[in-house]
Amino acid sequence: MDIGTCQVYEDEIKSLEEEIKLLAEQYKDLQQESTFYSEEEILTAIKAFQSEFQRESKGHEFQSDLKAQLENLEADLGFLMKFTCIQFTSHSKRTVERNRNRTVQKHRVSGKCHSLSFQLEFQLLEIKDEEKVSTVITDLSIIMESGEDSNVSKFVSRTEEHGHLLAFFRSLSSYAEWYEHRRSTFQHFKLYLLLSDPYISLTIAVAVVSGTVVQSTAATLPHFKIQLKMNKWEGDKSGEYFLSCLLYLKQFEKIFVQMNIDNEGIYLFLEDV
Amino acid sequence: MSAFLHRGEWLGKMEEGRADTWDGVFTHLEMLEAQAHEAGRRQEERQQQEEKLASLKERVEELRMQRDQLRAKVDLQQKKQSGKEGIVSDAAEPSAGAVLEWKIRSIKGMLQIFYLTGISGKLTKRGVCFSISTAYEGTYLDSYYLDLLTKPAVRIHRHSVPIFIPLEQISKRYLQTDIRRFLSVLSDHLNAYAGRKYQADQLQEHFSDQLEGSLQRNSLCNLLVFNYKMPSEDKTFPFSARLIYGDLCCSLPTEVIVSCTVKPHESLEETAAAHSELFRHTALHKVFCTFRSAEEKVDGAP
Repeated sequence: MDIGTCQVYEDEIKSLEEEIKLLAEQYKDLQQESTFYSEEEILTAIKAFQSEFQRESKGHEFQSDLKAQLENLEADLGFLMKFTCIQFTSHSKRTVERNRNRTVQKHRVSGKCHSLSFQLEFQLLEIKDEEKVSTVITDLSIIMESGEDSNVSKFVSRTEEHGHLLAFFRSLSSYAEWYEHRRSTFQHFKLYLLLSDPYISLTIAVAVVSGTVVQSTAATLPHFKIQLKMNKWEGDKSGEYFLSCLLYLKQFEKIFVQMNIDNEGIYLFLEDV
Repeated sequence: MSAFLHRGEWLGKMEEGRADTWDGVFTHLEMLEAQAHEAGRRQEERQQQEEKLASLKERVEELRMQRDQLRAKVDLQQKKQSGKEGIVSDAAEPSAGAVLEWKIRSIKGMLQIFYLTGISGKLTKRGVCFSISTAYEGTYLDSYYLDLLTKPAVRIHRHSVPIFIPLEQISKRYLQTDIRRFLSVLSDHLNAYAGRKYQADQLQEHFSDQLEGSLQRNSLCNLLVFNYKMPSEDKTFPFSARLIYGDLCCSLPTEVIVSCTVKPHESLEETAAAHSELFRHTALHKVFCTFRSAEEKVDGAP
């Protein structure tokens, strides 16, 4: 009978120890998630830390480790942001559930990749199963500033639907880099339309820094076509050309300009008002 | 306590010459000694048990108190948080160490987000160790590391990329000129492989009743061969599928051949053709999911 009681106590001790561990983690989560220190406060803390360390020789290793650890982590993060061109401007998380083998956290992240800004919200589920930890994303919600851009909205809706956060970032990264390249390339692309008499002749002067003018026609009709060959974004497997360019049109007369963009190029239709 | 006869008494008994009494005395002595020893041992055991129980009880009470205190702390913190939205600064002045620990945890959190983006890493003494993570939709799968040295030129020191991924080919083409592109292409290969493997694993795990034996696949998981049947069918596996994933950066097959293992009649051949189309455009395990739900619909129909 004594042995039985012993076992009961031992079982309770084990379950209490587990419960304490969980509660401690929960408390740490709550503390972490409800606190915020500005960069200034952090610098102050580092200075205070260093002077504390210089005064006391106790706990020497632990203290220098903490500062060194912070420096290493900041260096890693800085490198990654620079290398991938993905800058996270804010990240907040809230632990919604924490059990022995399950943790659910709600994350909110905002940042930009090159010049494209994004805002994400998702739920992260971590399941501990013997030695492996599996991570699953659910409830992914993506907001992008350039949401009207059809290419962007395509990969946003596709990846959001399946919670495919990784694919979103891979697509975003590749698209943003391509977009950046084109943006800087076509910054100097100017299309000048000089009109003297819309029904007799149209003189087109095209200044292109990069990109190729395939065909330009001067016509007597108030329509003309300029075909421009643009590079295709490789990530887009649907085979569509994406065009986005800066057009500076100099208007001398009142002309209604209609612009069509499709696979082949830009078509400018000029009509008299 | 041993019964201890006076030496004289013994000698006396000896002198009487009664051998059996002598033996009897010895046996009796041994028995008493054993009994006493046993009693002593049991007493010690009982004492130990009592002490152990007492200490366990003490420990339980100690832990219970600790647990209750923690619970109270957590509840208080939760109340504080639900009261105000957003961020609250701790009332008590935090120690410099606590602030630094907070910052460290905060940065680790951001580094975890980088892991979720698919490419993360850490600086090493001689270069960078990149980590490429893979995922199938929302489920993260294995990640692979690449330890790069940067001086005098960029080269791979160590890695965990499987041998059937054309790492050498990819690094020859991009590593020296564009590391980002190199990692991007490698990530495409690894993610596509992980995706194919995941689909095959899911099929094997959740739809094994519809498969004849086990799925045959190569290590790159770009060639899958299996015989299957519809959920409702009995014993024969009328369909034989052969999926070839020609594009190593894609997790959908480029070529699908579904043939009939038995002598086919027209409807069976039609079904095989329909399945062929399905496999071309939908993930493998999802196709089998639709088979199952289609059957259920039929069953459920009045």
